Amino acid sequence: MATVMQEFTKGLWKELPPFRLVLGLCPTLAVTTNAENGLGMGLAVIFVLALSNVLISLVRNIIPKKVRIVCFIAIAASLVVAVEMLMQAYAYGLYQQLGIFVPLIVVNCIILGRAEAFAGKNPPLASLADGLGMGLGFTFSLTFLGGIREILGVGEIFGVGLFGPSFHPFTFMVQAPGAFVCLGLILAGMNYLSVWQAKRAGVQLDPHFDAGCSGCGACKMMDQIAAQKKLERMNPAQG
Amino acid sequence: MASQEITSKNLFSVSAAPVWHCGRTVRSTMLHSLLALLPAAIMAVYRYGYDAIAVIAWAGLAAVVTEFLMEKWMERESTADDFTALFDGVVFAFLLPSTAPIWLVVIGSSLTIVLGRMVFGGFGGSPICAPAVGWAIMTVSWPEFMDLNAMLLNWDLVEPLSDLKYFGVEAITDISYTSLLFGQNLGALGASQVLLIAVGGIYLLATRQLRWFIPISFLAGVYLTGLIYNIIDPTLYASPLFHLLSGGTMLAAFFLMPYPSSSPTWKLPMLLFGFLGGALLIIIRTYGIYPDGTCFAVLLINLCTPLIDLIQPKPFGGR
Repeated sequence: MATVMQEFTKGLWKELPPFRLVLGLCPTLAVTTNAENGLGMGLAVIFVLALSNVLISLVRNIIPKKVRIVCFIAIAASLVVAVEMLMQAYAYGLYQQLGIFVPLIVVNCIILGRAEAFAGKNPPLASLADGLGMGLGFTFSLTFLGGIREILGVGEIFGVGLFGPSFHPFTFMVQAPGAFVCLGLILAGMNYLSVWQAKRAGVQLDPHFDAGCSGCGACKMMDQIAAQKKLERMNPAQG
Repeated sequence: MASQEITSKNLFSVSAAPVWHCGRTVRSTMLHSLLALLPAAIMAVYRYGYDAIAVIAWAGLAAVVTEFLMEKWMERESTADDFTALFDGVVFAFLLPSTAPIWLVVIGSSLTIVLGRMVFGGFGGSPICAPAVGWAIMTVSWPEFMDLNAMLLNWDLVEPLSDLKYFGVEAITDISYTSLLFGQNLGALGASQVLLIAVGGIYLLATRQLRWFIPISFLAGVYLTGLIYNIIDPTLYASPLFHLLSGGTMLAAFFLMPYPSSSPTWKLPMLLFGFLGGALLIIIRTYGIYPDGTCFAVLLINLCTPLIDLIQPKPFGGR
């Protein structure tokens, strides 16, 4: 149970999808013109991510390795179509606001990334925890970014005015370049926070490895490739 | 820290032994640049009165204070005494309408320093021209306060470039080139003093603070591209001389385009950089939604600098 809890919490801060893993940037930049859009997008992603993680984890042993990406996308696409139809039925205003970015959840890096890096290798319960954690982290990040952009760019939060009529909104923030600048500053802030925490704890921080890499597995893959090449070099006749 | 390593002397040891320091420093270059901006500033004050002094002073002050505070926070040695921040602030002020509200001047000048320079590691690290960044952010955010016509309503003149944009070539036929040259039309505070900006630029060229490649090729780019459009259809596109003398073209040629650290370093790349920048200026003015696209052209071509800089001289004896 401890590990399930760990899988859940890592998506909330240590491997926060848009700000730590820097995944799923397309909706992060495009739909966060206000906090409400960010929240709605995040909720749609939680639904798809949690269910796709569970389904993929359930069928992970019967999918042939070579066609796994196609299967992952087929599962994610079915779920996204379901979300889209539910949104059309029950939250039509939000559906119109998010527009093309709801169907685009299919090709969102987080869905495929978690499927490939986690759900394809782990049991359903851990995968569910991972999907929920990552989805929640994604939702918080999008709402946070949308909130900052809405406060500065429109002077409102969730549609409620903050500063009164004499405020001249900083329109740059709700336009496309504002998203990039804001995201860059948040990433810098995350790194600054890590450095500050490490300094306070008295730990010497290696600047290149401050994000956790337990979910990636690229190093293991490289090791396997190296071992295979070594094997081939030792037995050239078989190759 | 990294900054100290870069500026430490042993990294600059050049192989051929007798080396003579020419005495040029960032500080002296910036003082010359500020001196070159002075005539245009005086003319701006003469023309727009007390407002112009206030805008220039607040922009300069906000830039220097922001840089000082940022460097304090980043635990670096303060570089306020090399006048780079003051230069950025004054050039940013030159792009504003003279009646810009003080809060806009202060915010814009601080953003010029923070987003144009400090996020890239301070002066010398910025890949884009800092004052142009400030202008672009302000124009996108508060177009109503950056609109030269709306801000200078008490003048019965109209800004030539917006005339061209919204009313076509016939609207600018009665604007003479001499009036453009002497800044007798509506325009940004300093950028519209075309002749005096050019005098300042020629002073920089004459004292060899600035090499001629970028300014001259930029002006040539503007002229030739404008000429091509003008030949295609003189009733649709303004004459190239008009483009040379209006908006921020002169200021861009001598102060924004050759901004250190965002422009290439060798001769051919500098010529290419200037020429493409000039061509972009005409293209943005012709098809863009804003009347004056000078700073957008500068920013766009700045982004190409790393690519253009790949053209490098062949070392002696190299293959």
